[in-house]
Amino acid sequence: MPMRLRWVRGRTEGDGPDDPDRTREWVGCDDAGEAIVRVVCVSGPIRVGWRLRHAVARDEEARVVELRPPVDRERRWLIVVGGRVVGRAALPLQAVRGAEAALGGG
Amino acid sequence: MARTPLEKIRNIGITAHIDAGKTTTTERILYYTGKSHKLGEVHDGTTTTDYMDQERERGITITSAAVTAEWKGHRINIIDTPGHIDFNIEVNRSLRVLDGAIFIIEGVAGVQPQSETNWRLADRYNVPRIIYINKLDRTGSDFFRAAATLTEKLGINWVALQIPIGAEDTLKGVVDLVTMKALVWEGDELGAKFHEAEIPDDLKEKAAEYRQKLLDTALAVDDAAMEEYFDKGDVSVETLKRCIKKGTISGEFRPVVCGSSFKNKGVQPLLDAVIDYLPSPVDIEGIKVAPEEGQDEDSDRRVIEVSEDGPFAGLAFKIINDKYGNLTFVRVYRGVLRTGDQVLNTTKGHKERIGRMFQMHADKREEIKEVYAGDIAAFVGLKDTGTGDTLADPADPVVLERMAFPVPVIDISVEPKTKDAIEKMTIGLQKLAGEDPSLRLRTDQETGQTILSGMGELHLEIVIDRLKREYGVDANVGAPQVAYRETITRPHTEVYTHKKQTGGSGQFAEVKIIFEPLERNAGIIFENQVVGGAVPKEYIPAVEKGIRVQADTGVLAGFPTVDFKATLVDGKYHDVDSSALAFEIAAKACFREGMKKAGPVILEPIMDVEVTTPQDHVGDVVGDLNRRRGVIQSQDMAGTSVIVRAHVPLKEMFGYISNLRGMTKGRASFSMQFHHYDPVPRQIADEIMAKSA
Repeated sequence: MPMRLRWVRGRTEGDGPDDPDRTREWVGCDDAGEAIVRVVCVSGPIRVGWRLRHAVARDEEARVVELRPPVDRERRWLIVVGGRVVGRAALPLQAVRGAEAALGGG
Repeated sequence: MARTPLEKIRNIGITAHIDAGKTTTTERILYYTGKSHKLGEVHDGTTTTDYMDQERERGITITSAAVTAEWKGHRINIIDTPGHIDFNIEVNRSLRVLDGAIFIIEGVAGVQPQSETNWRLADRYNVPRIIYINKLDRTGSDFFRAAATLTEKLGINWVALQIPIGAEDTLKGVVDLVTMKALVWEGDELGAKFHEAEIPDDLKEKAAEYRQKLLDTALAVDDAAMEEYFDKGDVSVETLKRCIKKGTISGEFRPVVCGSSFKNKGVQPLLDAVIDYLPSPVDIEGIKVAPEEGQDEDSDRRVIEVSEDGPFAGLAFKIINDKYGNLTFVRVYRGVLRTGDQVLNTTKGHKERIGRMFQMHADKREEIKEVYAGDIAAFVGLKDTGTGDTLADPADPVVLERMAFPVPVIDISVEPKTKDAIEKMTIGLQKLAGEDPSLRLRTDQETGQTILSGMGELHLEIVIDRLKREYGVDANVGAPQVAYRETITRPHTEVYTHKKQTGGSGQFAEVKIIFEPLERNAGIIFENQVVGGAVPKEYIPAVEKGIRVQADTGVLAGFPTVDFKATLVDGKYHDVDSSALAFEIAAKACFREGMKKAGPVILEPIMDVEVTTPQDHVGDVVGDLNRRRGVIQSQDMAGTSVIVRAHVPLKEMFGYISNLRGMTKGRASFSMQFHHYDPVPRQIADEIMAKSA
């Protein structure tokens, strides 16, 4: 059975100067309000200083993490439990369902 | 014109491959919106938007007709565009001024070549789109297979808003995935009536699957909608519609609806989708001003927002000459314009006074006294305003982003059957070319013949027919010829002195010009780099004129020379004997001599050809295309057929259809469109030159 979680907005950011901030992270909390899973959108390619990073995401502490190899462009949403990526999806709602299924043992 | 609030206006186009049902859909829309009291049929030649004689006789759309309809308190200005590639210019200029479009895909064949071409054009102008999968009553139609071709051929992220109930001759209606209701029509006849019902049991699972896909895709564009979904496990119809509209306008996904216009099923929900999901003029970004000289196409430029406040700005996108005179169609982007006002044609830099203005219903018209931002109207009697020109209030003389026009690939020579009709023919052809930027008219300097260049045999055939019907000129027409071009392959510097002394004042001019090749489609660039007055300023335009006039007759076989730069770097003049004429003659001769030494080549149009053939004839088709100097690009399965795509020189494609029919017993079909120009092989170049000599 999928585990039902309460989902709240995580970090937001825009893709560029013309792009308004969008939620790039949704956090799944248990009944006690404890964050137990995150679904995070991968950004990139972006230039950080002189380096081109093809795919980056932010970890729990909002640090930029580069993903190697870069994820499939079609599946940009990562399901992250305890700092480990346990699945990927094309869209945030699919990632949310994937996260609930993973935590429920589905 | 009754004033409709901007947010209740939709300026939309209907576009697709030939025979996908554009005109039939437009006719149904006019019927259901009450604009037309009887239903026109393409096959009966009684449609409203196909108003030209040729359109009714041939059952095809040639011009883009503009019609206005009312639906649920909104005004929808619709442009029905042609599907045949020869009339692609009409699609181009319509998409340029529209805020949204319905893309019709045929339920049997799915995405076809012209759908792809039009899709890319709409991409260029960022036009939000709804996809309508039509003809689901036809044998062999399949909604899901046709939708799959959207991914395969267009590579887009589409999302179904409806799925069909029944198929082919048992098509009954659609499941609306937004409201999760079935919409069932009670018959095939003029089906103005349909009712809502529960989703049939055998479709419940499929509907749930596609509804979830819709939610997954649509809600991703709106954080508040995601939260509503997390709170309630679903979202309201209003929220879902808001998300679909947002994603449609931003282009993050493309919504898909379906039906059969011919069987009167699906048209009213399509109109609802136009209102609900396509943008009003105020929902879009506005229009960019044209790049200034030297400015990049992608550079940041000022955007004119659609608003009734502010100085007037509009774009002329179409010109027609009919029995009432010259009609210029204008899309208004900003401000209000009234009869009698004066505007500036900012593209050409002259003033125009606004005489009569009309709202158009295909070939019928309703006189109006003012037009507002967001409107499309026709102006009568503008003196010198062409397609793509901006009309603006002199208080803010903006030049709006221009249109790109396709390259004509076929030439024919035309001469009137009687000598006294020469003037009439010239006037007629000039007017027709003024209406149609994809039609070019020139005089061959060597033979004196009038040469018409167009997009294809059908395009030119229609022009000649219109010349006869509308201007009363019967013309002899030469066989269609490939529109070859000439260019150069290496730089060369040429000096030419023109000297003539025949008693009295003589002629003297010397020019030194560098000729350099440019990339394809760059045209002709002339630059003056003369310093110290070696060639006086007043003679520079004559040098440029000489180059441009002479470029019409290339040095190899007399075809127009393109894609080169001529830089005037030095010269000499004489105080008494030099004149503009002498410099023009010198420039012409310099061109003739210089081009010969700059590695001239003949270019030929290469076509993108797509042949759909049964599997058992693939070998014959591919072998035949190879013999025609074709280069196969791909071979893909499509049901039981194979689609072969190749690049083939246009010269080798004359009469191809009868060959193809013979080879495949009439079971294959093909379409082609211009792709690029390439140098012709040496042996063929020799043949062409021998012929022209």
